[in-house]
Amino acid sequence: MKANWEVGVNLLLHFQVVLKRIMKEKISNELFEFKEECDKHGILLSFYGYFSQELLVEIGDTLRNRMKLDNTNSTKMIKIFAMFIEQAQNIIHYSAEKSFNKELNCSLSNGVIVVGYQDDLYYVLCGNQIDKKNIELLTKKLTTLHNMNKNELKYYYKKQRKSLTTGLGFIELARKSVKPIDFDFQSIDEQFSFFSLKTYI
Amino acid sequence: MDNWKTEATKYTPEIYFDASNSVLGINGESYPENIAEFAGPLFSWLENYLKNLGEQTFIVNIELIYFNSSSSKMLLDLFDLLEEEVSDNSKKIVVNWIYDKENDAAQEYGEEFQEDLESLPFNLVKKE
Repeated sequence: MKANWEVGVNLLLHFQVVLKRIMKEKISNELFEFKEECDKHGILLSFYGYFSQELLVEIGDTLRNRMKLDNTNSTKMIKIFAMFIEQAQNIIHYSAEKSFNKELNCSLSNGVIVVGYQDDLYYVLCGNQIDKKNIELLTKKLTTLHNMNKNELKYYYKKQRKSLTTGLGFIELARKSVKPIDFDFQSIDEQFSFFSLKTYI
Repeated sequence: MDNWKTEATKYTPEIYFDASNSVLGINGESYPENIAEFAGPLFSWLENYLKNLGEQTFIVNIELIYFNSSSSKMLLDLFDLLEEEVSDNSKKIVVNWIYDKENDAAQEYGEEFQEDLESLPFNLVKKE
């Protein structure tokens, strides 16, 4: 579990490194290297930038079509799609880099999402900036879920669904993930950290 | 009462009401960004409809391929509302939870809703 998770973090770091080089050096070489690196990690798709509901619908559709072409079994396909939507909507709701324009009725949230296949499992990796003051609560919530078995998660989900109006997403993810979900925080500055989350199907 | 229908979008289900058969249908996928905004009108209509529901049986057919976690909360609220009408006001209501035989997730969700209901008849209907 530890090793896989490091791959995830490394991957996000890799995006940064490659992008830095793309900006400086000969573009085509670096982009090709980036593509090869993505292939090596079994990445089906990756997106970095501002998310909107419309965008996630389109990416989600493409993801489903890709899995249909790969003859992925339909139960698994719905689960992967569900993970993707839940994690992308998490970015939309909770990214600290969020702008909203009331006149345009337009809301955009910055984040990164990666869907891939490695070691016989699909994974969905997502990340976004959060305010450091949320780290403690997130750690508590996610550690609780990390330590529960499937049956405990089921009853916890049912209980929370009755009392909560939001925040069911993590429990939903923990229930669908075939391995405990992994998470990490990386400090950006005094106020913000980068929060990442990885699920397995 | 008249028939009505809300067309599906890519991320919200089709919802229709068939007045002559007292059937409410919800079909498709549900993962809007803001479920309260989407479901608000449905709940207002339902409360009014249930108030005036007489002896006939109200049938709710739900066939959702995929829904997100906030839609799952909305469904629970819907079943709670219907269950209350059955237990407190003796209304006749039946929910049919329809799922494709290959959609294990939809089946599991149906079973879990069913486990928590006491008075509301809730049928799991597998589509071959």
